[in-house]
Amino acid sequence: MENIEIISVKDESLEHLRKVHGDDAETLIADARYGFISGLMKDVLKKPAVEKETVTDKIDRLILNRWLGIPVFLAILYGVFEFTFVVSGPLINWINAGLDWLAGLTSGISPAWLGSLLSEGIIGGVGAVLSFIPVIFLLYIALSILEDTGYLSRAAFVMDRLMHKIGLHGRSFVTLMLGFGCSVPAVMSSRTIENPRDRLVTILVTPLMSCGAKLPVYALLAAAFFTAYQGLVVFSMYAIGIILAILMAWLFRKKLISGESGHFVMELPPYRLPTVVTVLAHMWERGWAFLSRAGTLIFGAVVLIWLLNYFDVLEHIGRAVAPIFSTAGFGQWQSAVALVFGVLAKETVVGAFGTLFAGAEATGGFGSVIGIQLGWTPLVAFAFMTMILLYIPCVATLSIIKKETGSWKWMLFTVAYTLALGWVVATLIYQIGSLFL
Amino acid sequence: MSKKEITIALAGNPNSGKTTVFNNLTGARQHVGNWPGVTVEKKEGFCSFQKHRIRVVDLPGVYGLTAYSLDEIIARDYVVDEKPDVVVDVVDASNLERNLYLTVQLLEMKANLIVCLNMMDVAESRGYQIDVKALSSLLGAPAVPMVAASNRGTGELLETIYGVAMGSIPVSAINLQYGHDVEAEIAKLEKLISGNSLAGSYSPRWLAVKLLEDDREIIKKIGQA
Repeated sequence: MENIEIISVKDESLEHLRKVHGDDAETLIADARYGFISGLMKDVLKKPAVEKETVTDKIDRLILNRWLGIPVFLAILYGVFEFTFVVSGPLINWINAGLDWLAGLTSGISPAWLGSLLSEGIIGGVGAVLSFIPVIFLLYIALSILEDTGYLSRAAFVMDRLMHKIGLHGRSFVTLMLGFGCSVPAVMSSRTIENPRDRLVTILVTPLMSCGAKLPVYALLAAAFFTAYQGLVVFSMYAIGIILAILMAWLFRKKLISGESGHFVMELPPYRLPTVVTVLAHMWERGWAFLSRAGTLIFGAVVLIWLLNYFDVLEHIGRAVAPIFSTAGFGQWQSAVALVFGVLAKETVVGAFGTLFAGAEATGGFGSVIGIQLGWTPLVAFAFMTMILLYIPCVATLSIIKKETGSWKWMLFTVAYTLALGWVVATLIYQIGSLFL
Repeated sequence: MSKKEITIALAGNPNSGKTTVFNNLTGARQHVGNWPGVTVEKKEGFCSFQKHRIRVVDLPGVYGLTAYSLDEIIARDYVVDEKPDVVVDVVDASNLERNLYLTVQLLEMKANLIVCLNMMDVAESRGYQIDVKALSSLLGAPAVPMVAASNRGTGELLETIYGVAMGSIPVSAINLQYGHDVEAEIAKLEKLISGNSLAGSYSPRWLAVKLLEDDREIIKKIGQA
């Protein structure tokens, strides 16, 4: 009883203070704190008469510039992908040469099923995923540098104005940027968004970002179909992801989860030169997740795919699903299989192709094998890449969405809308592209 | 105080160098878990001083202790519910004014507070002169200047932690005044709360302030009690 009394006395007090001061008690209390602090500061801190312009201020004048901010952000992002692809290219070739040698060595092993499991299943599948270690780790180095120097916060600050227009906050953009690494920690990082509606919308669109696990698929197909423009094509995937995430957020905020958006100060930490150790530590934190997934989930998925294929079940699964995707040009049973198993983890798409086409040879590497076997044109490859970008997030992401939103409803909603979005966009790209090409 | 283990909580704004202070204190002796019930990372580490084991709990980096974000609720609940022997508030000395907002809120909670003035080198390079003694006496809590990035001041911090935990260094936190009208309402609520079962684990004055801030977590707690 007395508790109800406390609450009602509190309500009276709030009403009374609002009448007397025209302000909420919350504001009055915060004012008292700020007043105390600013009084204290006068006794404690002596600042020089003229404050020196710091290096941070100088760099910020360029990077946070009203007109240059977004172009600088896009240029930095593009630079990251060029760097990643130029440096990783030769490394991937060495790894692939090593894997070919291993596959040759194991394919002769008897009994024949064991040789097939080792050379086609494990080396073909898991190996195909592992060959992208250099791309992934280089991207993670670049992302860590952007984060540790303080640039990531700047990017969010630059996007803040645009984000406000769609009813979100710059902090949502930090979450989206972290999605370039992996959606799981990105979704968790949405905790810093104070307004629950802003937070929910941010969680729903985070899976549309190109995470590290989608990168091997892009890298594989871009190398085979867009030799000279690899960096540009992969960059376009990242750009499409950002644009669609912002568009969907705007739509959700308008139609689904409307209500006031939170306002708070964007934090701009000073630029810091990150140490090699911190950058490597952050790279390793992110990269380790990739490696351990390759050793467990991807390994299991690939063995399962090999088994289903060995017993001629896989093709039936693929053929049942494939017709849905024929409007987008990739209605072959093999690509349907890759998409189905890709829900376990997006790298599995590469692993599935690796197992399905193990042993087939083509100049231009493994990606070209896929092109020849499935009869894909660059247009189909591009549509397929957008599908990988957009469709159903991996199970780990789905479970973190369930956990953080606290509801099955939003998790299932994510599955449904991302699948629909991926299908629509891939179909549009293929159909419109076919008119011109 | 005769117990052998001292528990301290590390609080501070994001980018205040809290993680570096944590690493300086605990070195390699740390482990990562989750805060109960949520997927927020909880880091704990250990060090020893004067034959006492010191358990260091790293709280999420926050700007305040309202109920607006999960991180803030976690940090606040830990200080209130677990009652660590000492709360070390890591403050960016080059951004003193902004960082003190959290400090003041920790003092309002009557935490056994030590203000760790980190990044003194950055503050000095900008020509700031900070009167550490005045700061300490105005806040009613010991203040330790340090440069965590180059591991300077860790020893003094440990000594201060030990002193506060043993009661040889007094913490006599200020009573922040909220103005005549607010104080009148606080007094009313405080009186009601004092007779309440919740009063055991919370300070009635702090609860009253939180109620006036319309803090949804505290309202929920009071509603359930």
